[in-house]
Amino acid sequence: MEKVFLCAVSDLAENQVKKVDSSVHGDIAVYNLGGQYYATADLCTHATASLAEGDVEDDLITCPVHWGQFHIPTGKAQGFPCEIDLKTYPVTVEGEEIYALIAVDQALIAKG
Amino acid sequence: MGNMIKTIDVTDSLTNLKDACDLESGRISGKIFYDQAIYEQELEKVFARCWLFVAHESQIPKTGDYITTTMGEDEVIVIRQKSGGIKVFLNACPHRGNKICFSESGSARGFICNYHGWSFNVEGNLVGQHESGVYEDSNFDKSKWGLKEVANVDSWKGLVFATFDPESPSLQEYLGPMTWYLDALFDNQEGGTEFVGGCIRSTYECNWKIAAENFVGDILHAGWTHDSAARAMLGGSVAKVSDFEESYSVNWNGHGYEFALDTVGNVAVLGESALNRYIHTIKPSVAERLGDFRSNMIGSVSSCTIFPNFSFLPGQNTVRIWQPRGPNKMELFTWVVVNKSAPQEVKEKWRKGAMMTFSPTGVFEMDDGENWEYCTKTAKGRVTAQQDLFVGLGMDTLLTDTPLPANVYEGQLNEANSRAFYQYWYDMLNAKSWNEVPNRNVGKAEAE
Repeated sequence: MEKVFLCAVSDLAENQVKKVDSSVHGDIAVYNLGGQYYATADLCTHATASLAEGDVEDDLITCPVHWGQFHIPTGKAQGFPCEIDLKTYPVTVEGEEIYALIAVDQALIAKG
Repeated sequence: MGNMIKTIDVTDSLTNLKDACDLESGRISGKIFYDQAIYEQELEKVFARCWLFVAHESQIPKTGDYITTTMGEDEVIVIRQKSGGIKVFLNACPHRGNKICFSESGSARGFICNYHGWSFNVEGNLVGQHESGVYEDSNFDKSKWGLKEVANVDSWKGLVFATFDPESPSLQEYLGPMTWYLDALFDNQEGGTEFVGGCIRSTYECNWKIAAENFVGDILHAGWTHDSAARAMLGGSVAKVSDFEESYSVNWNGHGYEFALDTVGNVAVLGESALNRYIHTIKPSVAERLGDFRSNMIGSVSSCTIFPNFSFLPGQNTVRIWQPRGPNKMELFTWVVVNKSAPQEVKEKWRKGAMMTFSPTGVFEMDDGENWEYCTKTAKGRVTAQQDLFVGLGMDTLLTDTPLPANVYEGQLNEANSRAFYQYWYDMLNAKSWNEVPNRNVGKAEAE
């Protein structure tokens, strides 16, 4: 598991989502749902769109381009046009800082 | 501002229009109802410039709520914004022009074009396309290709109007003192009005002006045209308008309102005693709010058109837009308007009453449709179209010493409003800019 810094607690207001650029792991969306933090892949599984530009409603994120929805805590696609679930990452908060725990891809390591 | 609408240049004015529209002599000719070239000019000089009614605020209360309608023949989407405001967009994708919303009304997070998957949010911004990568390779600037927005949107007492022309006067200036009269229907109770039910749509083979002019100032037809319908609804003839002791025709900028002060004449033709009772019940509070004079107008024998094509009947509470669809075709959009504060059963009776009287199967509407279609169709004959038609009733009836606002004429059996309507239409067709539209108003711009 790699610990990836996402943002400071003070940078993410309640019921907001923020995009964290990562060329290594793919961009990550970090969410604050009523003080509880979550992280998912930022790229919609349906078409090219940044979920962080979408709307958070209760525990769902709505894609800004075709309005497909995902359940933020589980990444579960809620129906057409999104049928592939979103990747989610465990989150840990250390003091003022929010981190995602990302499993190291063994295949990439093998390829060097 | 990539999404700003591109305004059109108006083309040369028509020659010899004066022959077909000479209001000082009190005559017009059928040519103005059946001429393709005149129609094309109307779309540019009337419908692409004037303030046009597009929605009632109550139809789109929440973010993303929308209705689709037309401004002239231009299709538009009227949609509530997160900010609470209202935007009006062309219902056409800026890529190949395909129509993007096919529904009459609804609530949406945005619109996606069926053709190449261009996706637009509620604010009209382009937010994505199918194969978005290839656009990036062409240095495509998404911010410049959102939905095209009309030049101005404004509302008055719940009525939302839009204009394509950035040079048009403000809505307030455009409506002028007519708003004082509009209050009799649209602001007679706390909370204002709302539309109930959906949009009733029907098609006529008639020119839109004949219908608009009928509502601007023609109560004369009612006693004759609607006699049988009135007997069916009331068990007797409609009120004999010439017996009214006091009635008026008022106009401003081509808008017109003709009315008696009998309080319930229009309501009565719906044949629902509960509605007559409601009118009498609210009348004292209307008198407190608007004064005695306008409390007598709330359901009286009356009608109104706001130029060019927004009309209504107080009492029957029907609101209608005469949508142009060619010189000899019109689509009619009808809604029912009620006071928000009215009891539910009263609102329901108005909804049903409007259907019974002023809908495609309504007893009064059928009477009108037949006449309006043949007023248009006779003008198909080239000779017939050139003949004079009389619009000369009430030439010398202007009241100069009245406290009432706007241009006020004595009596509602009077063609003063019809003349003012056609005159404004003629003036718009002959004006290349708003500065060239002559100010023919002679009355008071504000109520005393």
